[in-house]
Amino acid sequence: MMAVRKQLIATTASVLLALAGTAFAASPSLAMSHPVAHRSAAPSGTIDIGLSADPPKLDPSLSSALVDRQVMINLYDTLFQLSASGMLESDLATGYTVSKDGMTYTLQLRKGVMFQDGTPFNAAAVKFNLQRDQLKISPRHSSLSAVSGIDVTGPYTLVLHLSKPFSPLLNVLAGRAGMMVSPTAVKKEGAGFLNNPVGTGPYEFVKRVVGSYIDLKANPHYWVKGEPHFANVEYKIFTDPNVELLNLQSGAVQFIDTLPPQQVSSMEMTSGYTVINKPSFGYQGIYLNVKSAPFTNMYLREAINNAVNRSLLVGAIFRGTAVPAYSPFGPASPAYVKSEDTPPAVNPGLIRKLLKEGGKPKGFSFTMQTATSPLDVQIAEIIQSMLKPYGIQMNIDQLDFGTMLNNSADGNFTAMALGWSGRLDPDQDIYSFFYSGAPLNSSQYSNPKVDALLNQARAVSDMAVRKAIYAKAVAIINHDSPYVFLYHPNNVLAYSNSIKGFVYIPDGLIRVATLS
Amino acid sequence: MLTFITRRILLTIPVLFLISVIVFSLLHLIPGDPARVILGQDATPAALQALRVQLGLTRPLWLQYVLWIGGVFHGNLGNSLQTGLPVAMLIGQALPVTVELAIGTIIVSGLIAIPLGIYAAVHKGRMADLITVFGASIGLSIPPFWLGIMLLLLFTVHFHLFPSSGYVPFFQNPIQNLQSMFLPVVATAVREAAVLLRMMRASLVEVLGADFIRTARAKGILWRVVVVRHAVRNALVPVLTQSGLQIAGLLGGLVITETIFSLPGFGSLLVNSIFSRDYTIIQGSALVAALLVVGVNLVTDLCYGLIDPRIRMGKGA
Repeated sequence: MMAVRKQLIATTASVLLALAGTAFAASPSLAMSHPVAHRSAAPSGTIDIGLSADPPKLDPSLSSALVDRQVMINLYDTLFQLSASGMLESDLATGYTVSKDGMTYTLQLRKGVMFQDGTPFNAAAVKFNLQRDQLKISPRHSSLSAVSGIDVTGPYTLVLHLSKPFSPLLNVLAGRAGMMVSPTAVKKEGAGFLNNPVGTGPYEFVKRVVGSYIDLKANPHYWVKGEPHFANVEYKIFTDPNVELLNLQSGAVQFIDTLPPQQVSSMEMTSGYTVINKPSFGYQGIYLNVKSAPFTNMYLREAINNAVNRSLLVGAIFRGTAVPAYSPFGPASPAYVKSEDTPPAVNPGLIRKLLKEGGKPKGFSFTMQTATSPLDVQIAEIIQSMLKPYGIQMNIDQLDFGTMLNNSADGNFTAMALGWSGRLDPDQDIYSFFYSGAPLNSSQYSNPKVDALLNQARAVSDMAVRKAIYAKAVAIINHDSPYVFLYHPNNVLAYSNSIKGFVYIPDGLIRVATLS
Repeated sequence: MLTFITRRILLTIPVLFLISVIVFSLLHLIPGDPARVILGQDATPAALQALRVQLGLTRPLWLQYVLWIGGVFHGNLGNSLQTGLPVAMLIGQALPVTVELAIGTIIVSGLIAIPLGIYAAVHKGRMADLITVFGASIGLSIPPFWLGIMLLLLFTVHFHLFPSSGYVPFFQNPIQNLQSMFLPVVATAVREAAVLLRMMRASLVEVLGADFIRTARAKGILWRVVVVRHAVRNALVPVLTQSGLQIAGLLGGLVITETIFSLPGFGSLLVNSIFSRDYTIIQGSALVAALLVVGVNLVTDLCYGLIDPRIRMGKGA
């Protein structure tokens, strides 16, 4: 029997699914954080929000940049959403059931919701969205690859058939794959939809000037009572974090999506501002190419993995805005296990022993590719100095991000500093990176035991069980060392105290609907 | 004059053609795949291939070039690979910002540099000259990004005199436009003024030592008249050349100022497009930039004639 996820708390009887039958093992509802009703007070005023990059694509089906989500979360509602405590909640889906074999998911959808262009939200719209995400050109394609069929069984009921059990599915539907766009607008705009996005969210798209600003206005038909409070949102783009901070201080914006690490403590002490500094789902580290010498040799990979002092690195550079990592799962992840994510103390004797076993007792040299930002270069230089005492000469090759992506995909590197922004479901932080032949397995690592464990975790829905499976996989991965986990960066946000009502959700997104 | 202009304009055609071929070829030589940048780290090979086909990147290079240049002849610079927006529209939005910033910079730096340069040259070797030259050295040494941050801190965070970011088109609100451009122009102009000042001073010092100046003075013409009418006009020719070069450089080189003051300019558009491998924007921008440089050089050449009547266009000037 497919166990229902423990953290999905059924609180509202009204949304219990009426679906009966022996095929369904569970029919949980989800916590409803938003009662549907008409707005009580008209929205007013404008909030200006600083963004650290210009969102390239405001279409959830095509988006691949993290910053897109800052805007999209206010344009679109998702089928499921995260609560402040990191639990899954209802949003456009009010409940679901899962079949005994984990191969069929039935979703019950919210009634009375309209897209901003007047198109009704219903099961047909959800089917349209999911099928759109399954197209090959969508970055969502791989996360929905387990869905083999979608049936509309009622105006507000949808059945998803899976080709194999895939427990991350509901968490996937709380991300970009769960963001619902208007089918009418997609058909009308075609490829131009990403520049004229239409969802069911609290704000409607108005205008954007590339590289400068994005304007939104309140959705008059928004289904959540009393939201949103601001009539307009203006996102302003600042590609330099120090400039973004200056704009917060000058009052040009009231909320910023990032803060330079060296400014965090001084801003925390400055009256008039609130700083949010909490763990994110992401991680940063170094790929070691197991098909490229010298890292074909496991002992040499292990030597690198053991020689990097993460605490020192994080302390020197991040000043409390990151934590040392030894696994893909940081403190925000549901699969976080402190003992598994704590790097071992640096042991010079062990490192020398590993070098000796690897046939390079006097050390060796290699080149690490890294991005060109001052932060990336600083990190590379510190690691370089940490390896030097063991005779390991690390050369630094600075490359732009586009070239790095290409090299990582082609295996055209020996070592490469490249991380992951992280996802809600742990599967999406580990599977593609360490499963044999998976798209993000740039190290070209392959271990049948790890593959078996990662597949096993996909078929189990109980997070406690999945955690234990992941812990075993991480232990093997760290032993084989195809990747050196370095740190988990925090989500660092800051806002003026004139803004009220901010609710921090572990994905670090600024949901404007509750702000006033 | 007309022949000169016609000849110069006709000469730009092969120049632009060569630039378009070179930029197109170089773009496809550098590593990086637009499809991968667009789809992100976790794209599957099938998804990448599907997008490459959709973007037309699987066609032979020569065909991609012919299709693109064919569009250019019809006034169509193509659409951005990232956003799908028309490249002409994106350049049309970004270019006025940078052109205004560049022209504002040259005007402000000229207003500072020319009078001070004349003053320093006329008082050569005296305290006023030393102070001016020293000031110019400091102006040259201050990086525009540092000055920009300092100006922001002082005038926006502390005194709230100017907006800290954003751009308002001139024809939408001239006052807000000037307010939003004031600090960026100052941040850039200080360095440019220092260059021009040194050029103006050196040029005028040389002219003031020429025989015709001594003759003019011997004829009893007032010193002030000699300086303004005879010396400065001659000394301005190299300064004008320098200004033309500076404008051409600024059109593509203002990206740091644009970043600090959050101005959606041409430099930022180009740099961001290079990082995102947005080939169509890079190609279109390179073509427009080349056109601008050629245009600025042409205008500079025409201005020579206005300053110095001895220079006759088209006659070996």
